[in-house]
Amino acid sequence: MTPRLHPFTTLTLAVCAAVVTTAAAYWPLSVAVALAAVILAARHGIAGRVLTAGAVILTPLCLSLLVLHGLFFPEGQTVLAQWGPARVTAEGLGFALELGTRTTACVLVFLLFSFTVSVPDLVSALAGRRIPPQFGFVLASTLTLLPAVAGRLDRIRQAQETRGMVVGRGLLSRLGTLRLQMVPLVLALIDDAGSRAQALDARGFGSPGPRTSYREVADPPAQRLFRAAALVFAAAAVAGRIVASWPTGAAS
Amino acid sequence: MTAATRTALQIRIEAFTFHGDDTPVLRDAALSVTPGSLTAVLGGSGSGKSTLGKLLAGWLRAGHAGQFRGSLELGGTVLEFRGVPEDPRINPAEWSRRVAFVPQDAAAMLSSVRATVAEELAFGLENRATAREDMLRAVERTAARTGLSHLLDRDPATLSGGELRRLAVGCAVIAEPDVLILDEPLASLDAAGAAQVEALVRSLCGAGTGVVLLSQAADRLAGEATHWTVLDAQTAHDGRTVTAAGTVTAAGTPAQLAGSAELERAGVIGIGGPGGIVPSVLGSGVLGSGGSGGAAGARLPGPVPAAAPGPGPASLELRGVGFGYAGDPRRHGTGAQDRVLRDVDFAVRPGEIIAVTGPNGAGKSTLLRHFNGLLRPSAGDVLVCGRSIAGVPVGKVAASVGLLFQHPRDQLFERTVLREAAFGLRQLSGKAPAEGKARAALAAVGLSGTEAAHPAELSASRQRLLALATVLAREPAVLALDEPTVGLDRHGLEALQGAVDRAAARGAAVVMVTHDLDYARRNAHRVLELSGGSLREI
Repeated sequence: MTPRLHPFTTLTLAVCAAVVTTAAAYWPLSVAVALAAVILAARHGIAGRVLTAGAVILTPLCLSLLVLHGLFFPEGQTVLAQWGPARVTAEGLGFALELGTRTTACVLVFLLFSFTVSVPDLVSALAGRRIPPQFGFVLASTLTLLPAVAGRLDRIRQAQETRGMVVGRGLLSRLGTLRLQMVPLVLALIDDAGSRAQALDARGFGSPGPRTSYREVADPPAQRLFRAAALVFAAAAVAGRIVASWPTGAAS
Repeated sequence: MTAATRTALQIRIEAFTFHGDDTPVLRDAALSVTPGSLTAVLGGSGSGKSTLGKLLAGWLRAGHAGQFRGSLELGGTVLEFRGVPEDPRINPAEWSRRVAFVPQDAAAMLSSVRATVAEELAFGLENRATAREDMLRAVERTAARTGLSHLLDRDPATLSGGELRRLAVGCAVIAEPDVLILDEPLASLDAAGAAQVEALVRSLCGAGTGVVLLSQAADRLAGEATHWTVLDAQTAHDGRTVTAAGTVTAAGTPAQLAGSAELERAGVIGIGGPGGIVPSVLGSGVLGSGGSGGAAGARLPGPVPAAAPGPGPASLELRGVGFGYAGDPRRHGTGAQDRVLRDVDFAVRPGEIIAVTGPNGAGKSTLLRHFNGLLRPSAGDVLVCGRSIAGVPVGKVAASVGLLFQHPRDQLFERTVLREAAFGLRQLSGKAPAEGKARAALAAVGLSGTEAAHPAELSASRQRLLALATVLAREPAVLALDEPTVGLDRHGLEALQGAVDRAAARGAAVVMVTHDLDYARRNAHRVLELSGGSLREI
């Protein structure tokens, strides 16, 4: 087992990977970053979750990129096919590929981070940096909300099935029953939030003033140094990109 | 805590009305708490106990949550409230350092964003910027007091009911408050869990904390109180309308009030737990240490319910059913080899009432969920009315099996009480009779008149009765009830008993799961114990 990484270290890594990939704008690099993210996810045993969530986000996005740039790319010179105003050009497809792989890499990297980060460590680390605890709470709640919503939805479905609602195997049937569960779900979540707010108030959560943290997250000097270096590298990549594209931009 | 007789906390309520309501939920009530004492506030469902507790603890704040006329006195400082904007404001965080409250639903006490029991305990201290060394000591001390020392690294989401309740109490007492208010602290706990919470209350009182117990049962813990206050929803006529508000109908020592007419009218359950709901038997046995006393079931004099069923095909039959939660990491300690159910064989005939008992976590709810297919056995078969339900959708099995969930909140999802009771009835019995059946089921559990209310607005006891009505309305051949007595006051228990009897009389097979052995013995033809994954008759 490798030594535990501080949440800020993994966050910095994710941000730098996204920034460098975007700055490089080089599709083989994007593909490599995306693959690396998938391999790391597999090593953590969460490849299925990362890929599923990634597919939900990326499929519509990549399809729209393909339609938008693949068919309508005004700068395109090499026409591969044409139907009226729609032209498939090599440049358009290249651009769609460039943008699609870049977005895929960024999304997968951030999904990997959010699925692997220890939320309590992150919240504790944020609190240690004098970031308002409410921010940390909202962040933690957002990351724990999905399982909570899924659990609540499951209980509502069970209650409805117990009273005669038949859930079929088809997608349409499932969507139909999901519709029946939405209003109860929202009402139940509001009800939960209301009762929890009183308890949070009583436990001093809303009070202003400094906080302390029970949980201690180790942050070795080596990781601090690594984070600084990674940020400098990312900044250099951005600067390099700007310098590299400046004359090209002026010339065109 | 030198002056043991000094009042720590006192409340005098002329009236408290929630915003948006016309009539008060509490009026003419008073309570005082002295350090180191145990005070019990007893009352039936809807008597305003929880409202009183939340007012005392600053969870419901005057002006913020509703209009309060009266006064609060804490440690010699008196706050007067006249129901005007100039009234004093309570800072809930500061107030709760002195007066702590543990709600009926212990899970609602937790922050839900802390990963371990230790961190959850420390949450309140973190918010008050307590130094880390002090926090470590306080967590260790509180954990030892509440018996949580061996659970400090556990995820709070994986705790049992009794452990969760002790964690909630731990979160409340870690700041060493003068007064601790506990809302139904023993509800849904088995004997072992209840004994742990009782011992904790005793040690807190011994250390000088004034403890207020809000309960609808005059149980063993309430019997140890020095003072009882009886709250009851009293109706008042003001010309055109009839309103009900919680008010103090009696106050005194347990010896003075045991067996009193006020206690009976309030719907308070006697010492024998839900089994002993006949208050006249409370009498001398009320302070005894035993649980059962002389309390008999509702069907005086004998413990035998309706006539035993005759021979015939079983309404429900389990054949060699085995089941385990393998692969679910949130369920602590269950592995592939750790089965919840093993080779369970059991049959219920029409008209038969069977009770299944066992400690918390024995798998009683898991067993019930097999009856309608919410859980599928990994071995064996479940037959309803002679037919296997393997592969049959739950929604179809639901025509023959009605399941009352352990937590009514998991069962209720509609916008009004009537819609709730009528959900799914249309497909079952057609449009026209559906509403009639729903109304009849509501009437059968005493909920007529609440049709337009939102289920979440009902008291915990009425929510359970509504959940029961949703099951009864479908007139299933098998009635499976998961802890139906929890949270019910005496009136609610009577409604439950009537409904179960009628269902059995029309030929329904009834299986109820309960941790209350007394209740099981009095109200079932057969009592089975689930232990180690197997059922055996006791």
